[in-house]
Amino acid sequence: MEKWSRLSLVAEMIRDHISLDGIDRYLAETGVQSSDFVPVEPCDFAGEIFAVDGSNVSICNWSTANVNLIRAGYAVYRGRDWKRTVITFDDVFVADTMLCKNMFDLYLEQFFGLNGVYLKESDLDRLSSYYRELQEYVAINEALGEAHAGDIVLYDGSFDVFELLRDALAAVFARAREKGVALLAVAKSSSLFWGEEITLPFVQHTSTIGSRLLPGAAWYVSLKDKKVDAGQGRWNGETYVVRFCGQSEHAFRVDAPSFLRDEMGSVLGKLAAYSCSSECLGYPHALFRAHRDIRITEQEGAAVRQKLMAHLLESGMTHSEIRMLMQDFHDILEMRSGF
Amino acid sequence: MATTQEENQTPAGESLLNRKVIVSGDTTYKIVSKSVTEYHFTVPFILPDEERVEVGQIFSIKDQGLTFLARVLNIEHSSNYDGHWDTTMKGTQFFDDDQIFNRVIAEPLGCINKRLEFKKSRTLPTKFAPVARAEKEEFKFLSQVMGDIEVGYLRNGSRLVEEIPVALHSEAMDHHMGVFATTGMGKSNFMKVFAASCMRLFARGESKFGLLIVDPHGEYLKGKSKDLVKGLVHLKRYREGLACYSTNKQNASDPGVEELAISESEILPQDIALLYDWSPPQRDALEAISRILDPANWLEEIQSPEGMARMMQEGFKDSTVNVLVRRIKNELGRNPYIRKRSSLANILANLQNGKVVLVDIPRMSDRSELFLLSVISRYILDEYKKDEKEGQESRKNCLITIEEAQRVLGAGSNTTRFESIAREGRKFGVGLCAVTQQPKLIDKQLLSQFNTLVVMGLGDRNDRIQLEESAKQDLSSMDIEIQTLEKGEAVVSTLNIPFPVPARIHRYEDYLRRLEKEDKQEGLITRGGFKPFLD
Repeated sequence: MEKWSRLSLVAEMIRDHISLDGIDRYLAETGVQSSDFVPVEPCDFAGEIFAVDGSNVSICNWSTANVNLIRAGYAVYRGRDWKRTVITFDDVFVADTMLCKNMFDLYLEQFFGLNGVYLKESDLDRLSSYYRELQEYVAINEALGEAHAGDIVLYDGSFDVFELLRDALAAVFARAREKGVALLAVAKSSSLFWGEEITLPFVQHTSTIGSRLLPGAAWYVSLKDKKVDAGQGRWNGETYVVRFCGQSEHAFRVDAPSFLRDEMGSVLGKLAAYSCSSECLGYPHALFRAHRDIRITEQEGAAVRQKLMAHLLESGMTHSEIRMLMQDFHDILEMRSGF
Repeated sequence: MATTQEENQTPAGESLLNRKVIVSGDTTYKIVSKSVTEYHFTVPFILPDEERVEVGQIFSIKDQGLTFLARVLNIEHSSNYDGHWDTTMKGTQFFDDDQIFNRVIAEPLGCINKRLEFKKSRTLPTKFAPVARAEKEEFKFLSQVMGDIEVGYLRNGSRLVEEIPVALHSEAMDHHMGVFATTGMGKSNFMKVFAASCMRLFARGESKFGLLIVDPHGEYLKGKSKDLVKGLVHLKRYREGLACYSTNKQNASDPGVEELAISESEILPQDIALLYDWSPPQRDALEAISRILDPANWLEEIQSPEGMARMMQEGFKDSTVNVLVRRIKNELGRNPYIRKRSSLANILANLQNGKVVLVDIPRMSDRSELFLLSVISRYILDEYKKDEKEGQESRKNCLITIEEAQRVLGAGSNTTRFESIAREGRKFGVGLCAVTQQPKLIDKQLLSQFNTLVVMGLGDRNDRIQLEESAKQDLSSMDIEIQTLEKGEAVVSTLNIPFPVPARIHRYEDYLRRLEKEDKQEGLITRGGFKPFLD
């Protein structure tokens, strides 16, 4: 019984604190004003939209290292027409702290002219995430290589990245500016928050308020000088909350390099025109396609796992050795088959 | 979609990049699954009207040296997305036509090899093998397996394949034929087309069987002039293939139409027996007639006081004999064609020569029609049995048409005469052509003896089930197609053609004009058919 009374308290707290009754407190505590909600006019354009995404599936892991299948690439649209999807990386990555530094250095040097990476001890748990992000930046770099002035390159994620890869990001920004290409990051989920006594979801509340202030319209809000921590100053750009389609419930965090500040309305108008598909209303359709084309499914992961197993057996390892080395005890608890 | 590898494309990172580029390509009209017994392929979810896929259409799948043929059973909305994402109207339109499609479920018919031989398929096409609507080239092999009695053109969905006529085999006719359709779907038109083709075969000296049609509605002989519907006599070019008998004096006055007469001596007590429900004593009395009275003169004798007295002397009650006599008198009164002379010998001779024999009995009652059909059928079967014994090899087989066949071939009916033709007629070269709109009422065992089925629109599910369960070829998968057949469309199932063939039966009046114009010696089927006349 005690458990359920606790649940009822949580429900009450959500209602009182997270559910948004009025907008005054939000405006006061975030510094966002009604006038900050800028309508976006959807506008056709003849250029191309590139949407970059990546995917990462664990193949196996043992206590000190793990193997991941990583894929990165981009989808290209002109208007509503899908043109192509380019896969730039599709391979396994062995996340071993002793071995993988070279894997980063090769890409950082060849694609971004950087001197390599320094991996701190705290980074070691997230090696495969870093590596996937690195491959996504390589994909952005490739997309920028194909893009022409006026085109748009979208990235599925945020530019408030790990310190380790900020130099690579800076190189990508520089290339986008040089080519006259609009580069934006659109995050499907965001940890942005506001509130002085409790952390309240900023993007969701901004979306709710935008619906009241500009019903049925696409809009954006710049977070410049607002009391919301979006990593300002850690990377050379600005964060916005954007609703791409007036008929949709959803708004998204959008990051953009500083050089785009004056043309955000125009760039978002072009995106709004192509965020109204029946497949995925309210989200830039190119990103929807990139997600579906580039994602690694469970079945694909399982197939690679089986192939690895076959190689290990061919090389003379026994089932029991493989299990001993690789089976995660969680798999045993969950009664999952595997190594 | 097409995938290309672009290794080392960019100068930077030459050794690191291994780009795969997936570009737009044909993503539909490809086999995507499923098994040897069921193929699935995709088509665009939106198509112009003339390219829409329809149930019953036949598609071809070219896969290396084989061409698979498959018939569409059903079409479903489908996509590469999971769940019910598309059940709410939202957004402006679909963006990714390559991800949203219709899934077509098709039944394999078989495959054609390089030598143009058609075989049942024991394998399935390679995944993503291209699919296209079958055209005349893929159907060419059908021309080789078609018979000699042309009835229509091959139909692919709603489209005609005019180059491929659908023709039944004369050789299969003693294996019985069924023509099934609800009212107004074209049974009579089919029978006239069928008869016209038979007349043509006779005129060309190619007839292999005689066709008997007893027409109680008076529509086959001259048609209906007010509706511009033509009859068999209008096929002048092949008129020699038709022998007509009529109970109608006006019709019988036409040259080439003989007034029908059946001799009293050719009527047997069992012909009367099938007309009524009899009590056991009455049935005993009927069966005893041949023993008690002169078999050649029993009809006259039993009506006389002496004949009745002889029946009663044998122990039959006067009331029983009186019922017999009263009913016999009724039948003789109703059937004025019963006379001293008889047309039966001529009818038989014409059938044995391979002609179409039309017995025109307009405005005759149901009971009288059955009586007449029974007398003629019994006579024919008896004579064919005799011929068989005597080894008369020159005579042609015979096909007896029964309209509203459910009356005499129904489960539990007492008309064993027709049942016996269905069961044993084949041995003697006598086949039945059962025409009915209610196949569900025909005895299932009898129906299973029918090797040729012409199925036109049947709305009643029980009718379709009855046919599916009895047909020699599997019709069960064609349920939706049979249900949706339009007037004049048919599915023809016969043993000599490897799968049930969708057909559009010729409109008789068009076919007539075509036959009237053709060179008598020119083949219909062998030269690949005609273009239809455009009205």
